[in-house]
Amino acid sequence: MIELLVTVFSATFFVTVVRTTTPLLFAALGGLISDLSGALNVALEGMMLIAALTAVIVSVYAPWYVAVLSGIGAGAMLGALMALFHLRFKADIILVGFAVNILATGGTVFALSQATGGDKGTSINLQSKAVPAVNLSFLEAIPVIGPTLKALLSGHSILSWLGVFMVFAVWYFLFRTPYGLWLRGVGEYPAAPEAAGIPVAKVRAWSLVASGALAGIGGAQLAMFNYIGFTRDMTAGRGFIALGAVLLGARHPVGAMLAALLFGVFEALAIVMPNLFNWIPGEMIQTIPFVVTVLALILFSYRAQRARQMRTLSKI
Amino acid sequence: MAPLLEAISIGKTYPGGTLANDGVNLSVSAGEVHAVVGENGAGKSTLMKILFGIEQPDRGEIRLDGKPVNFANPRDAIDHGIGMVFQHFSLVPSFSVYENVVLGSEPRNGITFDREEAIAKVRALSEKFRLAVDPLPPVGQLPVGQQQRVEILKALYRDARILILDEPTAVLAPQEVEELFVAVRALVAQGRTVIFIAHKLPEVLEISDRITVMRGGKTVGSVNAKDVTEDSLATMMVGREIALRVDRAKGRGDLACEIKALKLTAENGVTVAQDLNLKVYSGEILGLVGVEGNGQAELLEAIAGLRPIADGVVYLNGTSLAPKTVLERRELGLASIPEDRIARGLATGATIAENLIATRLADKRFVRNGLLDLKAMKANALSLIERFSIRSGGPGYAVGTLSGGNMQKVVVARELSEQPKLLLVNQPTRGVDLGATQFIWKSLTDARDGGAAVLLSSADLSELLALSDRLVVFYRGKIVAAFVNSDDLTAETLGTYMLGLSSQDPETMRAALQ
Repeated sequence: MIELLVTVFSATFFVTVVRTTTPLLFAALGGLISDLSGALNVALEGMMLIAALTAVIVSVYAPWYVAVLSGIGAGAMLGALMALFHLRFKADIILVGFAVNILATGGTVFALSQATGGDKGTSINLQSKAVPAVNLSFLEAIPVIGPTLKALLSGHSILSWLGVFMVFAVWYFLFRTPYGLWLRGVGEYPAAPEAAGIPVAKVRAWSLVASGALAGIGGAQLAMFNYIGFTRDMTAGRGFIALGAVLLGARHPVGAMLAALLFGVFEALAIVMPNLFNWIPGEMIQTIPFVVTVLALILFSYRAQRARQMRTLSKI
Repeated sequence: MAPLLEAISIGKTYPGGTLANDGVNLSVSAGEVHAVVGENGAGKSTLMKILFGIEQPDRGEIRLDGKPVNFANPRDAIDHGIGMVFQHFSLVPSFSVYENVVLGSEPRNGITFDREEAIAKVRALSEKFRLAVDPLPPVGQLPVGQQQRVEILKALYRDARILILDEPTAVLAPQEVEELFVAVRALVAQGRTVIFIAHKLPEVLEISDRITVMRGGKTVGSVNAKDVTEDSLATMMVGREIALRVDRAKGRGDLACEIKALKLTAENGVTVAQDLNLKVYSGEILGLVGVEGNGQAELLEAIAGLRPIADGVVYLNGTSLAPKTVLERRELGLASIPEDRIARGLATGATIAENLIATRLADKRFVRNGLLDLKAMKANALSLIERFSIRSGGPGYAVGTLSGGNMQKVVVARELSEQPKLLLVNQPTRGVDLGATQFIWKSLTDARDGGAAVLLSSADLSELLALSDRLVVFYRGKIVAAFVNSDDLTAETLGTYMLGLSSQDPETMRAALQ
């Protein structure tokens, strides 16, 4: 037990948590935007998976940032595809989302075997690149706290820093710009923005595109930093956990970040625990993040219900 | 003076062949309150949707300041200075008043939404036009009358010269109607023009300068408000003399339904009604008065068996209803005309014949050996269609294809096809035209004369005053006043109790409750 505590409070563990949180964070921000616009995006999982593979394959031939951009583009295009089917052809958004997920599971395996020349499991024989880590070694020069600061802040993916910035950017967009107001209005009561002359379908379409783009960054981080290379089904439910983080975070960007962090911590635990407790089956430990997600959502819905009751009570 | 806004021989046919507007003419002068009246289905709403750019006319022309204009969408109409307040508000509940007002045309500071500026503008507008609203609270927490002001402010913020109000009084209590009229007069005094859609004639006569009457998709004519009376307007609207008067009960019979110390709670445990004590006698109509949401609807639901009783008892002819299921209650002679005919009264996808027997699936006449007797169902439907003059293609048509008034007649026909002992009625004529209203009122009084005890709830006070023999007023889940109906009782008197502005002394109330 002591060993576990020592591990958890080490700087390396913190770095692991940031690493596991980053893909979840991007996906959660993406889910948040489309959810607030009134279109629940259940395809985050598939978008991340397709973006991950796209980024890996592109990185073989192009610099890492082009690969990341192509991952973003893949996610955005899937978002546009969803918008097309949902808004133009009036298909149910949940069904369209699952279609994307199914397309992703099968499609990535097919594309992978085409790209690798027959390997249907991993991209191990492709020379894919990684997203660079940000080296902040100069922090060590600061007296007293320097080494700790360096251990905590140095070595994160550049995308993790982008993630922190994106939390602020999404918050600013949603709550400080007119377009954010439009988006939230469209999600809550579309008749109102419609009467005010706001193009409701266009707002929804763009939020699905943005949602896909953000999920795409998450996919790129997953396959170009957390792991280098693509493995089939490597997202392993992260898209759905991210959707849980949106709800658990009370549909607010900062809340979504905290929820993503919570799930990130448990994912990191699932990574370090097998070394410490070899008597617990590894499969058990790997279920921890998912069990925690379910428990957190139950707790959240219970609390939300209580809060609603309290509100109606205080009104009377 | 040339008219400000003109519609000239507008024609509009909806897909499916409904001729909603057929040669409609409207001419509105600047600075006047112009009422457009007509029954439901007369084409008022279609005309307004055309003026606001939601629908495009198939024929005819719209002129603004004498120049022909063409509105492709509401945005165009807004840009030309036309604003519209719908009957169902277009407000985002969790947004504050000012956010709702500026939504779509926000003041900006770079890419940022300039909140200070928005609040200041809303304050200035609400002062200028005497539409007192606090800009800061979320709209969802405001009473309906204030939400309506937010809608009007929204239009004014977009510089509407012409303001279209679609049935603005339908959702308001009498006092709130007065406040709205004050605001409308302030608007006109400042040079704005108001088009007022309505079907309550006394209000129309009070507020408007000119009145255009529509019937069956055509304009019947335009008159000056001071040249007409309520009766002559009603005749123009309906096209024949219509008497919206019913005979009161000749005298009441025995006690039919008794409610003692009844308490009702919502799903989340909040009390919605308490201390309800009522006696309803056979052969009388007891009117339940109150602004919506004060417990009347819940009481009717509880008696019908759609809502559990938290405490207290309800007796029907000596039998306690609480342990009975809905079906058992119906067997005891209870019938119910629910508030929402589409959600609760009918299966819109099913046929008229099916809907007419939906409450009688245990009846041997229609169901034998577990199978529907289609012949008997059809015969039953034909006779009820005849008796209640339901205008339809036939018993095999889906209820969803009927007009609102005829749908309601199907509900009434089903509930009254056999004489009930206790009849619960909620909003019997909401969204129903005058002709059907007259018929439904007659059906209700016939049921009463046949010995039914009737509990009637309605948002329309004139309906309650016309039909009820006694009235009780609900306020915040309690009965706060009771009256024996007489010609001296007015909507204004009821209104003061509905809003909790006055209270009745217990003696008077007890006397009227007996």
